[in-house]
Amino acid sequence: MPVAISVDAQEVSENLRHKRGYTFPFLSDPKAEVIRRFELLHPRGGPDGTDIARPAEFLIDRSGTVRWENFTEDIRVRPRADELLAAARSIR
Amino acid sequence: MVTQNLPKNPPQRHPVRFGVGISARQQGPVPGDRQARCYTRIGMADTTVRKRTLAPWMGMLLTVLGALSNGLPFTGFPAAPVPSISLLVSLIGIVLVLIGLWRAFGQSTAYKGKLTSAVAAVFSLLFLAGAIVFFWSARHIPPESAAAPQVGQQVPDFALPDSTGHPVSLAQLFSDSVLNRPPKAVLLIFYRGYW
Repeated sequence: MPVAISVDAQEVSENLRHKRGYTFPFLSDPKAEVIRRFELLHPRGGPDGTDIARPAEFLIDRSGTVRWENFTEDIRVRPRADELLAAARSIR
Repeated sequence: MVTQNLPKNPPQRHPVRFGVGISARQQGPVPGDRQARCYTRIGMADTTVRKRTLAPWMGMLLTVLGALSNGLPFTGFPAAPVPSISLLVSLIGIVLVLIGLWRAFGQSTAYKGKLTSAVAAVFSLLFLAGAIVFFWSARHIPPESAAAPQVGQQVPDFALPDSTGHPVSLAQLFSDSVLNRPPKAVLLIFYRGYW
C-alpha cells in the first residue's frame, strides 16, 4: 500500500488527492519532523527557500525493514515501476 | 649630499622614463623589468615584437570546461559538488580572460591580440552565464541523504496526520484499518510537495 509524505498542508494534499483520484493516504509533515528523522531533508529546496523532503521511496515490510529503496539524484528521474513491483513481489 | 647628487645622476633616478635613450642603451635592459625592456626596444629601433598572450584562450577554455563539467554526473561522478566546481572553474577562467584583456588593452605596447582577447571574452561570458544558470538550477538537485535508512535497516516509527486530519502511524498502516486485510508491505513515498 502506498503512502505519500510531504511538507504540504492537509488541504493541499486533499486537493491533490481529489484532482488526481488517488485513494491512498497522504500524510502532512509541515515541520518536516519525520522527514528529518528519515534524514531526507532538502534544506531550502522548495520555493521561497523552504525546507522540503528530497524525493525518496522506501518499500517497508511488516517488520519495519526496508526491502527496496530509491533515491533519485535528479528530481526529474523517478523510480521505475517494474523495479518496484519486482521488489514488492519478493515480499511474502 | 642631496644637492650634490641631484644634478649629477638624474637618469638613474628614473631609469625607465628618462634613461632609455641614454643610459638604458648603454647599460642594456634591466633584467626582469618588462617595461624597461619594452621602452628599450622602442628607443633602439622600430623592431617592436609584441608578445602574444594565451591568457584569454586559457580563460575561455576554462569557462568551456566549467560549462561541460555539468555533464560529470552522467559519468557517475557525484552530482552534489558539480555545480560549485563548474562555477569555480568558470570564474577562474573569467579571471584569466580579464588578465588577457588587461594585457591586450592596458599593456598594448607589450602584448598584441586586442581582437582575439575581446572575442574570447565574449564567448567566455556566454559560457560563464551557462555555468551560473546551471548553478542556479542546481538547488533542485537533492542532497545525498547518506544517513537515510538503507535496505535491510529498520525505519523509525512515526505518526502524521493524513489529508483529512486523522493521525496515521506506520504501525497502523500495517494493521487492517485501511484495507480489508493487512498489507504485506507499505511503500513510503517522500515527495517534494508544493503541488
